[in-house]
Amino acid sequence: MKNKKEIAALIFVSLLLGLILSIQFKTINKSIGGGALPTQRAQELANDLRKAQAEKESQLRLIQELEGKIEQYEKGGIEDDIYAENLYKDAMKYRMLAGYSDMSGPGVVLEINDPPVDIQYGEGFSIVDELDLILQVISVLNAADAEAISINDQRYTAFTEIVRAGNHIEINGVSTSSPIVIKAIGNADTLESALSIKWGIVWQLRNYDYIVNLTQDKNVVIPKYRRVKEFIYASPVEEKLQ
Amino acid sequence: MRISSPKLTLGIFSIIVGILIASQMKLNVDQITPVTIQSIIAARNELNSVRNEIVDLEKTIAAKEEELRLLESIGEGEANLVDILKDDVYKNKVAAGYTSLKGPGIQIVMFDNMNLEELSFSFNDDIIHDVDILNIINDLKVAGAEAISINDQRVMSYSEIKCGGPIIRINGKSIGTPFIIKAIGDPQLLMAAVNAPGTYGDTLRTVFGIGLQPYAEDEIRIPAYQGDFAYSYAGLLEEGE
Repeated sequence: MKNKKEIAALIFVSLLLGLILSIQFKTINKSIGGGALPTQRAQELANDLRKAQAEKESQLRLIQELEGKIEQYEKGGIEDDIYAENLYKDAMKYRMLAGYSDMSGPGVVLEINDPPVDIQYGEGFSIVDELDLILQVISVLNAADAEAISINDQRYTAFTEIVRAGNHIEINGVSTSSPIVIKAIGNADTLESALSIKWGIVWQLRNYDYIVNLTQDKNVVIPKYRRVKEFIYASPVEEKLQ
Repeated sequence: MRISSPKLTLGIFSIIVGILIASQMKLNVDQITPVTIQSIIAARNELNSVRNEIVDLEKTIAAKEEELRLLESIGEGEANLVDILKDDVYKNKVAAGYTSLKGPGIQIVMFDNMNLEELSFSFNDDIIHDVDILNIINDLKVAGAEAISINDQRVMSYSEIKCGGPIIRINGKSIGTPFIIKAIGDPQLLMAAVNAPGTYGDTLRTVFGIGLQPYAEDEIRIPAYQGDFAYSYAGLLEEGE
Protein backbone atom coordinates (compact mmCIF):
# COMPACT_ATOMS: atom_id res chain seq x y z
CA MET A 1 0.00 0.00 0.00
CA LYS A 2 3.05 2.23 -0.09
CA ASN A 3 2.16 3.46 -3.55
CA LYS A 4 -1.34 4.62 -2.57
CA LYS A 5 0.03 6.53 0.37
CA GLU A 6 2.42 8.33 -1.89
CA ILE A 7 -0.34 9.21 -4.33
CA ALA A 8 -2.52 10.53 -1.51
CA ALA A 9 0.33 12.71 -0.26
CA LEU A 10 0.92 14.02 -3.77
CA ILE A 11 -2.76 14.88 -4.25
CA PHE A 12 -2.78 16.67 -0.91
CA VAL A 13 0.29 18.74 -1.76
CA SER A 14 -1.09 19.62 -5.22
CA LEU A 15 -4.40 20.68 -3.69
CA LEU A 16 -2.55 22.90 -1.24
CA LEU A 17 -0.49 24.47 -4.03
CA GLY A 18 -3.62 25.12 -6.10
CA LEU A 19 -5.38 26.68 -3.12
CA ILE A 20 -2.45 28.97 -2.34
CA LEU A 21 -2.17 30.11 -5.95
CA SER A 22 -5.91 30.80 -6.26
CA ILE A 23 -6.01 32.69 -2.95
CA GLN A 24 -3.07 34.76 -4.12
CA PHE A 25 -4.78 35.68 -7.38
CA LYS A 26 -8.10 36.37 -5.68
CA THR A 27 -6.58 38.76 -3.15
CA ILE A 28 -4.64 40.65 -5.78
CA ASN A 29 -7.73 40.93 -7.97
CA LYS A 30 -9.86 42.07 -5.06
CA SER A 31 -7.51 44.72 -3.83
CA ILE A 32 -7.07 46.17 -7.29
CA GLY A 33 -10.68 45.64 -8.25
CA GLY A 34 -12.58 45.63 -11.48
CA GLY A 35 -11.03 42.37 -12.52
CA ALA A 36 -8.64 44.30 -14.73
CA LEU A 37 -4.99 43.43 -14.79
CA PRO A 38 -2.96 45.79 -12.63
CA THR A 39 -0.76 46.85 -15.50
CA GLN A 40 -3.78 47.77 -17.61
CA ARG A 41 -5.35 49.71 -14.77
CA ALA A 42 -2.13 51.60 -14.15
CA GLN A 43 -1.80 52.44 -17.81
CA GLU A 44 -5.37 53.68 -17.93
CA LEU A 45 -4.72 55.88 -14.92
CA ALA A 46 -1.51 57.21 -16.39
CA ASN A 47 -3.32 58.04 -19.63
CA ASP A 48 -6.15 59.78 -17.79
CA LEU A 49 -3.66 61.73 -15.76
CA ARG A 50 -1.80 62.86 -18.87
CA LYS A 51 -5.06 63.94 -20.48
CA ALA A 52 -6.17 65.80 -17.37
CA GLN A 53 -2.84 67.57 -17.11
CA ALA A 54 -2.98 68.59 -20.76
CA GLU A 55 -6.47 69.94 -20.18
CA LYS A 56 -5.24 71.89 -17.19
CA GLU A 57 -2.41 73.40 -19.23
CA SER A 58 -4.77 74.47 -22.00
CA GLN A 59 -7.12 76.02 -19.45
CA LEU A 60 -4.28 77.96 -17.89
CA ARG A 61 -3.37 79.27 -21.35
CA LEU A 62 -7.00 80.22 -22.00
CA ILE A 63 -7.13 82.13 -18.72
CA GLN A 64 -3.98 84.04 -19.64
CA GLU A 65 -5.45 84.92 -23.01
CA LEU A 66 -8.68 86.15 -21.44
CA GLU A 67 -6.77 88.17 -18.86
CA GLY A 68 -4.72 89.80 -21.60
CA LYS A 69 -7.85 90.77 -23.51
CA ILE A 70 -9.53 92.15 -20.41
CA GLU A 71 -6.49 94.25 -19.62
CA GLN A 72 -6.47 95.65 -23.15
CA TYR A 73 -10.11 96.66 -22.94
CA GLU A 74 -9.67 98.24 -19.55
CA LYS A 75 -6.51 100.10 -20.49
CA GLY A 76 -8.06 101.26 -23.75
CA GLY A 77 -11.16 102.54 -21.98
CA ILE A 78 -9.43 104.66 -19.37
CA GLU A 79 -7.14 106.61 -21.67
CA ASP A 80 -9.29 109.71 -21.99
CA ASP A 81 -11.14 109.60 -18.70
CA ILE A 82 -9.53 110.64 -15.42
CA TYR A 83 -12.38 109.32 -13.30
CA ALA A 84 -12.16 105.91 -14.93
CA GLU A 85 -8.39 105.99 -14.60
CA ASN A 86 -8.63 106.56 -10.85
CA LEU A 87 -11.17 103.80 -10.57
CA TYR A 88 -8.86 101.52 -12.49
CA LYS A 89 -6.02 102.31 -10.08
CA ASP A 90 -8.32 101.58 -7.15
CA ALA A 91 -9.35 98.30 -8.73
CA MET A 92 -5.70 97.34 -9.20
CA LYS A 93 -4.98 98.22 -5.57
CA TYR A 94 -7.69 95.96 -4.21
CA ARG A 95 -6.80 93.24 -6.68
CA MET A 96 -3.27 93.36 -5.29
CA LEU A 97 -4.55 93.26 -1.71
CA ALA A 98 -6.85 90.33 -2.44
CA GLY A 99 -3.99 88.46 -4.07
CA TYR A 100 -5.36 88.55 -7.61
CA SER A 101 -2.23 89.94 -9.27
CA ASP A 102 1.29 88.70 -9.83
CA MET A 103 3.81 90.46 -7.65
CA SER A 104 7.55 90.90 -7.74
CA GLY A 105 10.11 92.52 -5.50
CA PRO A 106 13.04 91.84 -3.18
CA GLY A 107 12.62 89.16 -0.57
CA VAL A 108 13.67 85.74 0.66
CA VAL A 109 13.30 82.17 -0.55
CA LEU A 110 13.10 79.41 2.03
CA GLU A 111 13.46 75.84 0.89
CA ILE A 112 12.57 73.01 3.27
CA ASN A 113 13.71 69.54 2.27
CA ASP A 114 12.69 66.42 4.11
CA PRO A 115 15.31 64.92 6.38
CA PRO A 116 17.39 62.12 4.86
CA VAL A 117 15.88 58.68 5.37
CA ASP A 118 17.22 57.02 8.47
CA ILE A 119 18.92 53.83 7.32
CA GLN A 120 18.54 52.22 10.69
CA TYR A 121 14.79 52.66 11.00
CA GLY A 122 13.80 52.67 7.36
CA GLU A 123 11.10 55.26 6.93
CA GLY A 124 11.93 58.84 7.66
CA PHE A 125 9.46 61.58 8.46
CA SER A 126 8.34 64.41 6.30
CA ILE A 127 7.11 67.98 6.54
CA VAL A 128 3.72 66.50 5.61
CA ASP A 129 3.50 65.26 9.19
CA GLU A 130 4.20 68.66 10.69
CA LEU A 131 2.19 71.19 8.78
CA ASP A 132 2.05 73.61 11.69
CA LEU A 133 5.73 74.31 11.06
CA ILE A 134 4.71 75.82 7.72
CA LEU A 135 1.99 77.84 9.45
CA GLN A 136 4.59 79.14 11.87
CA VAL A 137 6.99 80.11 9.10
CA ILE A 138 4.20 82.15 7.49
CA SER A 139 3.28 83.81 10.75
CA VAL A 140 6.93 84.75 11.35
CA LEU A 141 7.18 86.16 7.82
CA ASN A 142 4.03 88.20 8.39
CA ALA A 143 5.36 89.44 11.72
CA ALA A 144 8.43 90.64 9.79
CA ASP A 145 6.15 92.61 7.46
CA ALA A 146 6.16 90.34 4.44
CA GLU A 147 3.97 91.79 1.71
CA ALA A 148 3.23 88.70 -0.34
CA ILE A 149 3.88 85.04 0.39
CA SER A 150 3.68 81.91 -1.72
CA ILE A 151 4.12 78.25 -0.87
CA ASN A 152 5.23 76.11 -3.79
CA ASP A 153 3.95 78.85 -6.12
CA GLN A 154 0.53 78.94 -4.47
CA ARG A 155 -0.27 82.45 -3.29
CA TYR A 156 -0.99 82.63 0.43
CA THR A 157 -4.28 84.50 0.82
CA ALA A 158 -6.74 84.96 3.66
CA PHE A 159 -8.54 81.83 2.43
CA THR A 160 -5.50 79.64 1.88
CA GLU A 161 -5.73 76.37 3.73
CA ILE A 162 -2.89 73.95 4.22
CA VAL A 163 -4.20 70.44 4.59
CA ARG A 164 -2.76 66.99 4.53
CA ALA A 165 -4.16 64.59 1.96
CA GLY A 166 -2.52 61.20 2.19
CA ASN A 167 1.14 61.53 1.43
CA HIS A 168 1.00 65.02 0.08
CA ILE A 169 -0.21 68.48 0.97
CA GLU A 170 -3.03 70.45 -0.56
CA ILE A 171 -2.67 74.20 -0.69
CA ASN A 172 -5.41 76.25 -2.33
CA GLY A 173 -6.84 72.93 -3.47
CA VAL A 174 -3.72 72.15 -5.48
CA SER A 175 -1.71 69.16 -4.39
CA THR A 176 1.97 69.55 -3.80
CA SER A 177 4.62 67.87 -1.72
CA SER A 178 8.08 68.19 -0.31
CA PRO A 179 10.36 70.08 -0.92
CA ILE A 180 8.43 73.09 0.28
CA VAL A 181 9.56 76.39 -1.22
CA ILE A 182 8.23 79.44 0.60
CA LYS A 183 8.80 82.80 -1.06
CA ALA A 184 8.15 86.16 0.52
CA ILE A 185 8.46 89.75 -0.66
CA GLY A 186 9.49 92.40 1.83
CA ASN A 187 12.59 93.80 3.47
CA ALA A 188 14.97 90.94 2.77
CA ASP A 189 17.24 91.62 5.77
CA THR A 190 14.35 91.79 8.23
CA LEU A 191 12.75 88.69 6.80
CA GLU A 192 15.99 86.73 6.90
CA SER A 193 16.90 87.69 10.43
CA ALA A 194 13.36 87.04 11.69
CA LEU A 195 13.49 83.53 10.30
CA SER A 196 17.02 82.66 11.34
CA ILE A 197 17.09 84.15 14.83
CA LYS A 198 18.52 81.80 17.44
CA TRP A 199 15.84 79.36 18.70
CA GLY A 200 13.72 80.70 15.87
CA ILE A 201 11.77 78.74 13.30
CA VAL A 202 14.67 77.89 10.97
CA TRP A 203 16.72 76.78 13.96
CA GLN A 204 13.79 74.63 15.05
CA LEU A 205 13.45 73.09 11.58
CA ARG A 206 17.17 72.31 11.44
CA ASN A 207 16.93 70.85 14.91
CA TYR A 208 14.34 68.41 13.54
CA ASP A 209 16.87 67.45 10.81
CA TYR A 210 15.12 69.23 7.96
CA ILE A 211 17.51 70.46 5.31
CA VAL A 212 16.76 74.16 5.15
CA ASN A 213 18.05 76.66 2.61
CA LEU A 214 17.41 80.33 3.23
CA THR A 215 18.51 82.81 0.59
CA GLN A 216 17.86 86.43 -0.19
CA ASP A 217 16.70 87.25 -3.68
CA LYS A 218 16.55 90.65 -5.39
CA ASN A 219 13.65 89.65 -7.57
CA VAL A 220 11.16 87.25 -6.05
CA VAL A 221 8.16 86.54 -8.25
CA ILE A 222 4.93 85.52 -6.54
CA PRO A 223 2.04 84.35 -8.70
CA LYS A 224 -1.56 85.40 -8.27
CA TYR A 225 -4.34 83.46 -6.57
CA ARG A 226 -6.10 81.43 -9.22
CA ARG A 227 -9.33 80.51 -7.52
CA VAL A 228 -12.57 82.43 -7.69
CA LYS A 229 -13.64 82.94 -4.10
CA GLU A 230 -17.38 82.68 -3.80
CA PHE A 231 -19.05 84.04 -0.72
CA ILE A 232 -21.98 81.75 -0.04
CA TYR A 233 -22.62 82.43 3.61
CA ALA A 234 -21.12 85.86 4.12
CA SER A 235 -22.74 89.04 2.90
CA PRO A 236 -21.43 92.58 3.27
CA VAL A 237 -22.75 94.70 6.12
CA GLU A 238 -24.25 97.96 4.90
CA GLU A 239 -22.01 100.74 6.03
CA LYS A 240 -23.62 103.10 8.46
CA LEU A 241 -21.79 106.21 7.33
CA GLN A 242 -23.66 106.44 4.06
CA MET B 1 18.82 2.87 -19.26
CA ARG B 2 15.42 3.16 -17.65
CA ILE B 3 15.12 5.16 -14.43
CA SER B 4 13.10 3.01 -12.16
CA SER B 5 12.79 5.06 -9.01
CA PRO B 6 9.53 7.08 -9.03
CA LYS B 7 10.91 9.26 -6.28
CA LEU B 8 13.69 10.44 -8.54
CA THR B 9 11.25 11.23 -11.36
CA LEU B 10 9.03 13.11 -8.96
CA GLY B 11 11.99 15.00 -7.58
CA ILE B 12 13.15 16.06 -11.03
CA PHE B 13 9.64 17.14 -12.03
CA SER B 14 9.17 19.13 -8.83
CA ILE B 15 12.41 20.93 -9.47
CA ILE B 16 11.34 21.73 -13.03
CA VAL B 17 7.93 23.00 -11.86
CA GLY B 18 9.59 25.07 -9.16
CA ILE B 19 12.00 26.63 -11.64
CA LEU B 20 9.15 27.33 -14.07
CA ILE B 21 6.98 29.03 -11.46
CA ALA B 22 9.91 30.96 -10.08
CA SER B 23 11.00 32.18 -13.51
CA GLN B 24 7.40 33.05 -14.37
CA MET B 25 7.01 35.10 -11.19
CA LYS B 26 10.37 36.78 -11.69
CA LEU B 27 9.35 37.76 -15.18
CA ASN B 28 6.02 39.18 -14.01
CA VAL B 29 7.52 40.97 -11.04
CA ASP B 30 9.91 42.64 -13.42
CA GLN B 31 7.04 44.07 -15.43
CA ILE B 32 4.87 44.97 -12.47
CA THR B 33 7.52 46.58 -10.31
CA PRO B 34 6.29 50.15 -10.81
CA VAL B 35 2.67 49.03 -10.55
CA THR B 36 2.19 48.21 -6.92
CA ILE B 37 -1.20 48.73 -5.36
CA GLN B 38 0.13 51.79 -3.56
CA SER B 39 1.30 53.38 -6.78
CA ILE B 40 -2.12 52.82 -8.34
CA ILE B 41 -3.81 54.48 -5.37
CA ALA B 42 -1.31 57.33 -5.53
CA ALA B 43 -1.97 57.80 -9.23
CA ARG B 44 -5.71 57.81 -8.60
CA ASN B 45 -5.35 60.44 -5.88
CA GLU B 46 -3.26 62.59 -8.16
CA LEU B 47 -5.82 62.25 -10.91
CA ASN B 48 -8.58 63.31 -8.54
CA SER B 49 -6.70 66.37 -7.39
CA VAL B 50 -5.89 67.41 -10.97
CA ARG B 51 -9.59 67.04 -11.81
CA ASN B 52 -10.49 69.22 -8.83
CA GLU B 53 -8.04 71.83 -10.07
CA ILE B 54 -9.69 71.69 -13.47
CA VAL B 55 -13.09 72.34 -11.90
CA ASP B 56 -11.63 75.36 -10.12
CA LEU B 57 -10.04 76.59 -13.33
CA GLU B 58 -13.34 76.24 -15.16
CA LYS B 59 -14.94 78.52 -12.60
CA THR B 60 -12.17 81.05 -13.14
CA ILE B 61 -12.62 80.85 -16.89
CA ALA B 62 -16.37 81.38 -16.59
CA ALA B 63 -15.79 84.44 -14.40
CA LYS B 64 -13.23 85.89 -16.81
CA GLU B 65 -15.43 85.27 -19.81
CA GLU B 66 -18.29 87.04 -18.10
CA GLU B 67 -15.99 89.97 -17.39
CA LEU B 68 -14.81 90.07 -20.98
CA ARG B 69 -18.38 89.87 -22.29
CA LEU B 70 -19.30 92.88 -20.16
CA LEU B 71 -16.30 94.82 -21.43
CA GLU B 72 -17.12 93.98 -25.02
CA SER B 73 -20.68 95.20 -24.60
CA ILE B 74 -19.34 98.69 -23.86
CA GLY B 75 -19.01 99.25 -27.57
CA GLU B 76 -22.72 98.53 -28.02
CA GLY B 77 -23.60 101.09 -25.42
CA GLU B 78 -25.13 98.58 -23.05
CA ALA B 79 -22.61 98.94 -20.27
CA ASN B 80 -20.14 101.52 -19.28
CA LEU B 81 -16.61 101.13 -18.10
CA VAL B 82 -17.05 103.20 -14.94
CA ASP B 83 -19.80 100.89 -13.67
CA ILE B 84 -17.78 97.81 -14.49
CA LEU B 85 -14.74 99.18 -12.70
CA LYS B 86 -16.81 100.23 -9.70
CA ASP B 87 -18.19 96.73 -9.51
CA ASP B 88 -14.71 95.28 -9.79
CA VAL B 89 -13.39 97.53 -7.03
CA TYR B 90 -16.23 96.48 -4.75
CA LYS B 91 -15.81 92.77 -5.47
CA ASN B 92 -12.10 92.85 -4.80
CA LYS B 93 -12.61 94.98 -1.71
CA VAL B 94 -14.85 92.27 -0.29
CA ALA B 95 -12.37 89.54 -1.25
CA ALA B 96 -9.47 91.52 0.23
CA GLY B 97 -11.22 91.89 3.57
CA TYR B 98 -11.87 95.65 3.47
CA THR B 99 -15.59 95.37 4.15
CA SER B 100 -17.47 94.14 7.20
CA LEU B 101 -19.24 90.87 6.62
CA LYS B 102 -22.12 89.10 8.27
CA GLY B 103 -23.55 85.63 7.95
CA PRO B 104 -24.06 82.34 9.76
CA GLY B 105 -21.03 80.87 11.43
CA ILE B 106 -19.46 79.99 14.73
CA GLN B 107 -17.86 81.77 17.60
CA ILE B 108 -15.13 80.11 19.63
CA VAL B 109 -14.12 81.32 23.07
CA MET B 110 -10.64 80.16 24.10
CA PHE B 111 -9.04 80.65 27.48
CA ASP B 112 -6.06 79.23 29.36
CA ASN B 113 -6.29 76.25 31.66
CA MET B 114 -7.33 77.81 34.94
CA ASN B 115 -7.32 74.64 37.01
CA LEU B 116 -4.87 75.24 39.85
CA GLU B 117 -4.71 71.68 41.10
CA GLU B 118 -4.05 69.97 37.85
CA LEU B 119 -0.28 70.05 37.63
CA SER B 120 0.91 69.62 34.11
CA PHE B 121 4.42 68.81 32.98
CA SER B 122 5.09 72.44 32.33
CA PHE B 123 3.12 75.63 32.76
CA ASN B 124 3.60 76.11 29.01
CA ASP B 125 1.07 73.37 28.39
CA ASP B 126 -1.59 75.29 30.26
CA ILE B 127 -1.61 78.42 28.15
CA ILE B 128 -2.66 79.16 24.60
CA HIS B 129 0.16 79.70 22.12
CA ASP B 130 0.30 81.19 18.67
CA VAL B 131 0.64 77.68 17.20
CA ASP B 132 -2.69 76.68 18.75
CA ILE B 133 -4.45 79.66 17.22
CA LEU B 134 -2.73 79.08 13.85
CA ASN B 135 -3.89 75.48 13.80
CA ILE B 136 -7.46 76.36 14.73
CA ILE B 137 -7.53 79.06 12.02
CA ASN B 138 -6.16 76.63 9.45
CA ASP B 139 -8.78 74.03 10.43
CA LEU B 140 -11.49 76.66 9.99
CA LYS B 141 -10.15 77.58 6.55
CA VAL B 142 -10.15 73.91 5.53
CA ALA B 143 -13.81 73.78 6.58
CA GLY B 144 -14.50 76.63 4.16
CA ALA B 145 -14.57 79.67 6.44
CA GLU B 146 -15.20 82.79 4.38
CA ALA B 147 -14.02 85.34 6.91
CA ILE B 148 -12.26 84.96 10.25
CA SER B 149 -11.54 87.38 13.05
CA ILE B 150 -9.77 87.09 16.39
CA ASN B 151 -10.96 89.53 19.04
CA ASP B 152 -12.39 91.65 16.24
CA GLN B 153 -9.12 91.75 14.33
CA ARG B 154 -9.77 90.48 10.81
CA VAL B 155 -7.42 87.65 9.80
CA MET B 156 -5.79 88.72 6.52
CA SER B 157 -3.21 87.04 4.34
CA TYR B 158 -0.65 89.37 5.90
CA SER B 159 -1.87 89.06 9.49
CA GLU B 160 0.78 87.89 11.86
CA ILE B 161 -0.27 85.84 14.86
CA LYS B 162 2.67 85.80 17.25
CA CYS B 163 3.22 85.18 20.92
CA GLY B 164 4.62 88.23 22.66
CA GLY B 165 4.96 87.22 26.29
CA PRO B 166 1.60 87.36 28.06
CA ILE B 167 -0.31 88.48 24.97
CA ILE B 168 -0.68 87.54 21.33
CA ARG B 169 -0.07 90.08 18.61
CA ILE B 170 -2.27 90.21 15.56
CA ASN B 171 -2.39 92.95 12.92
CA GLY B 172 0.06 94.89 15.07
CA LYS B 173 -2.37 94.97 18.01
CA SER B 174 -1.98 93.09 21.28
CA ILE B 175 -4.78 90.88 22.47
CA GLY B 176 -5.07 88.83 25.64
CA THR B 177 -7.19 85.91 26.77
CA PRO B 178 -9.98 85.10 26.36
CA PHE B 179 -9.57 84.87 22.61
CA ILE B 180 -12.80 85.10 20.68
CA ILE B 181 -12.45 83.63 17.21
CA LYS B 182 -15.33 84.26 14.84
CA ALA B 183 -15.77 82.61 11.48
CA ILE B 184 -18.45 82.85 8.80
CA GLY B 185 -19.29 79.71 6.87
CA ASP B 186 -21.36 76.55 7.15
CA PRO B 187 -21.86 76.34 10.95
CA GLN B 188 -22.00 72.55 10.95
CA LEU B 189 -18.76 72.13 9.06
CA LEU B 190 -17.01 74.76 11.14
CA MET B 191 -18.20 73.18 14.38
CA ALA B 192 -16.93 69.81 13.21
CA ALA B 193 -13.56 71.32 12.32
CA VAL B 194 -12.84 72.33 15.90
CA ASN B 195 -15.05 69.94 17.83
CA ALA B 196 -14.84 66.50 16.26
CA PRO B 197 -12.71 63.89 18.02
CA GLY B 198 -9.16 63.87 16.68
CA THR B 199 -9.12 67.48 15.60
CA TYR B 200 -6.60 69.92 16.98
CA GLY B 201 -9.24 71.75 19.00
CA ASP B 202 -10.45 68.54 20.61
CA THR B 203 -6.88 67.62 21.60
CA LEU B 204 -6.36 71.06 23.14
CA ARG B 205 -9.47 70.71 25.22
CA THR B 206 -9.27 67.12 26.33
CA VAL B 207 -5.51 66.65 26.68
CA PHE B 208 -4.28 70.06 27.73
CA GLY B 209 -7.41 71.24 29.50
CA ILE B 210 -7.50 74.49 27.58
CA GLY B 211 -10.87 76.17 27.48
CA LEU B 212 -12.38 76.01 23.99
CA GLN B 213 -16.08 76.62 23.64
CA PRO B 214 -17.54 76.82 20.14
CA TYR B 215 -21.07 78.11 19.59
CA ALA B 216 -22.93 78.01 16.30
CA GLU B 217 -24.71 81.28 15.58
CA ASP B 218 -27.17 82.50 12.97
CA GLU B 219 -25.51 85.81 12.48
CA ILE B 220 -21.87 86.58 13.03
CA ARG B 221 -20.47 90.00 12.22
CA ILE B 222 -16.86 90.29 11.23
CA PRO B 223 -15.35 93.74 10.99
CA ALA B 224 -13.27 95.02 8.11
CA TYR B 225 -9.50 95.21 8.32
CA GLN B 226 -8.62 98.36 10.22
CA GLY B 227 -4.88 98.49 9.79
CA ASP B 228 -2.96 100.48 7.26
CA PHE B 229 -1.21 97.97 5.09
CA ALA B 230 0.71 99.37 2.17
CA TYR B 231 3.12 97.85 -0.29
CA SER B 232 6.59 99.32 -0.12
CA TYR B 233 8.68 96.48 -1.54
CA ALA B 234 6.33 94.47 -3.71
CA GLY B 235 5.19 95.76 -7.06
CA LEU B 236 3.12 94.43 -9.90
CA LEU B 237 4.95 92.00 -12.11
CA GLU B 238 5.44 93.66 -15.46
CA GLU B 239 4.76 91.57 -18.52
CA GLY B 240 7.75 90.42 -20.51
CA GLU B 241 10.12 90.76 -17.63
